[in-house]
Amino acid sequence: MGILSLIGLLVFDTLASWIRMFIALGASILLGLGIGIYAARRKTAEKVVIPIVDILQTLPILAFFPFVIYVIVATLPGYIGINAAVIFLIITSMLWNIIFGVYEAVKTLPQEFLELAALYKLNKWKRLAKIYVPASMPKVIDQSTLSFAIGLFYLVTSEIFSTANSTYAVKYGIGVELTKLAISNNFAAYAIGIAVFIAFVVATRLFFFAKLEKYYTRYNAPIRLKPLSQARHRQYAAFAHAIVTHIPRIRFRTENKQQIERVYTPKPEKKIISSKAIGYALLSVTILLILFYRPFSANEGTVLASLAVSFARVWLAFALITIIAVPLVVYLLFMSKHASSYLLLFQILASIPATILLPIIVTALKGLPMHDELVAFTVYFLSGIWYVVFSTLANKAYIPSNMLEVKRIFGVRGIEAWKKMYFYAILPGLITGAVTGIAAEWNASIVAEYFTTSAIGSGAVITSVGIGIGKLLDTSLDSGNLSLMLLGLLNLTIMIVIINRFVWNRLYRKIEAVSK
Amino acid sequence: MNLLDVAGVSYFIGDLEIIKDATFKANDGEFVSLIGPSGCGKSTLLRIIAGLIRPTKGKVMYLGKEIVEPIPEISFVFQDFALLPWLNNVENVEIGLSRSSISEEEKRKKALEILRHVGLSGFEYAYPNALSGGMKQRVGIARAIVSEPKILLMDEPFSSLDELTAEALRKDVYTMLKSKDNPVSSVIMVTHNVEEAVELSDKIVVMAQKPSYVKKILEVKMGRPRNKYSKEFRDYVNTVYKLLTT
Repeated sequence: MGILSLIGLLVFDTLASWIRMFIALGASILLGLGIGIYAARRKTAEKVVIPIVDILQTLPILAFFPFVIYVIVATLPGYIGINAAVIFLIITSMLWNIIFGVYEAVKTLPQEFLELAALYKLNKWKRLAKIYVPASMPKVIDQSTLSFAIGLFYLVTSEIFSTANSTYAVKYGIGVELTKLAISNNFAAYAIGIAVFIAFVVATRLFFFAKLEKYYTRYNAPIRLKPLSQARHRQYAAFAHAIVTHIPRIRFRTENKQQIERVYTPKPEKKIISSKAIGYALLSVTILLILFYRPFSANEGTVLASLAVSFARVWLAFALITIIAVPLVVYLLFMSKHASSYLLLFQILASIPATILLPIIVTALKGLPMHDELVAFTVYFLSGIWYVVFSTLANKAYIPSNMLEVKRIFGVRGIEAWKKMYFYAILPGLITGAVTGIAAEWNASIVAEYFTTSAIGSGAVITSVGIGIGKLLDTSLDSGNLSLMLLGLLNLTIMIVIINRFVWNRLYRKIEAVSK
Repeated sequence: MNLLDVAGVSYFIGDLEIIKDATFKANDGEFVSLIGPSGCGKSTLLRIIAGLIRPTKGKVMYLGKEIVEPIPEISFVFQDFALLPWLNNVENVEIGLSRSSISEEEKRKKALEILRHVGLSGFEYAYPNALSGGMKQRVGIARAIVSEPKILLMDEPFSSLDELTAEALRKDVYTMLKSKDNPVSSVIMVTHNVEEAVELSDKIVVMAQKPSYVKKILEVKMGRPRNKYSKEFRDYVNTVYKLLTT
């Protein structure tokens, strides 16, 4: 195949993927606006919807994929079913943060706007069209950037799917194409494929999201009247911000502040959403099921062991991420004079989802001892690192502005500078990064620990660890053992909720108490 | 030899001239104010004196030696306090002793002592965010003078405070700086408040803007304490106003 026709094919494949992505994004925005506005304006809806979304967005949605696929693919015929399934899956990854964005925007609307609406007797539709939707749009665009990135992360696993009963792969899609190229050892073509993919990502950001953002923030004109370098910095900040805002609690804190400074001066509703009740309900139901439902009680041991092993992998990868990210971020924030050039490079690197790199990682590590463990570790590492880097960098706005001048004036150096300045300055961002990064790692578990390409003909299991929760979820579906899969999901969910509540939230509150 | 010499300092950002040929000096025991309209580059000039920014032309000398980076003999009080929110007040003050080679216990002792000196007994272990603006600036001043610098640079130290707090703090600062056991021998303060400048200064450097240059150096030969409502005081105020507005 000539190089031109290869590029043509890759572009065509990417276009096909992008069409699915945009359909999913459009649907997510419509749903997000509907649900978000509804939750923000109706007290009862708020109490139900928000805690559920809160849990859904901290959870590895990818782990829910097998189940959803199973249901949808089983019911719809042919290509319609497959494409509907892919789009549906992408929506499940894009939707939650958009709902939160809309909810927040409507919640923080100045009271005067609502009084205005009452004064002029605007009806429900007028209110939607004139107030709620326009007020939400900047946030929606902001969150859509993030949603798009998450959607790309799920692209490969959405386009190629195999279970015991149904195996499918879309015919045209960059996820499928890249996997095919990698497993046939066609590295040159694979590299070109990645280049095409990156070109699409960059073009989408520049010609779609940047334009949209400009349009929907046009009435914030005063902020835009800034020197060029600052405007550029703002772009980076916005991107980093988009990457990291994943956890509602943390977002509540930072974005409310920003909004106050930026757009209006509303009284922010400092509402910390309680997903406690749902967590406890889930916990007690699961415990009951494990105790009394035979298929659960028989397998709980295996599930816990798998979870423990995956836990070790995820946290080891996170340890390495921290060791690398902390010095890197401190260097970029406080020492480097070319931070913006590095940032650009990182943004491009970060735009390649780890899932798309998986086939090449498998091939590149071939022949090494503990191959499948290394693959899993690498995918975990790549899935988590950018969240840590970008959220730590995005925290810059909250570092005391004169810190570096204080450092130079009083000659704070070496270990003392790390102990008294750098460490604390990056800590809040690091914790946000830890929460989101580890969540991203769990998301990746289903790909990192087990990956089969049977849907595209080669029929091979290309990576598979000995034991792990990701593998358990994959293989239980493969063999049609749905109760085992459900048990695995429940255990994973409960563990993540517990760690969020007892580790991250506590740490976060401690820090917030000191550095407001 | 002068304690501090600012000799022909110019500063450019790109082709834009921010400061043009600023020249003045500060002698032992002098309180010098830099006054000018906002945005005229006073704070930049103060940072050049501190060694935080290198001038494009000219130089700043401490006892005849050119300043190329921050030195222990010159300390700084920030307009917005610049306290580290994660350190408590005494730890923040200890930042001022970073260069010192004394033991940790001695640092703590010194920091506690200076905090009492600036009137913050009982707040040593509180965090800065628990304090009012005036108290925060007292911590900022304690941090700046704990290392016993010879020159204290203050960048609009009272402008983030309400007028009553500012007035009380001004008095305290002046008393403190003029007391015999205080090692600080010269203060250079940036301000845009004319009365503040006349009240505190021995010398007022009046700056004009775009680019900023030294329009006039005015000696304030008035006894202390100074009465704001005296004719002499009002005359000085009027003179400075006239210089600033014409």
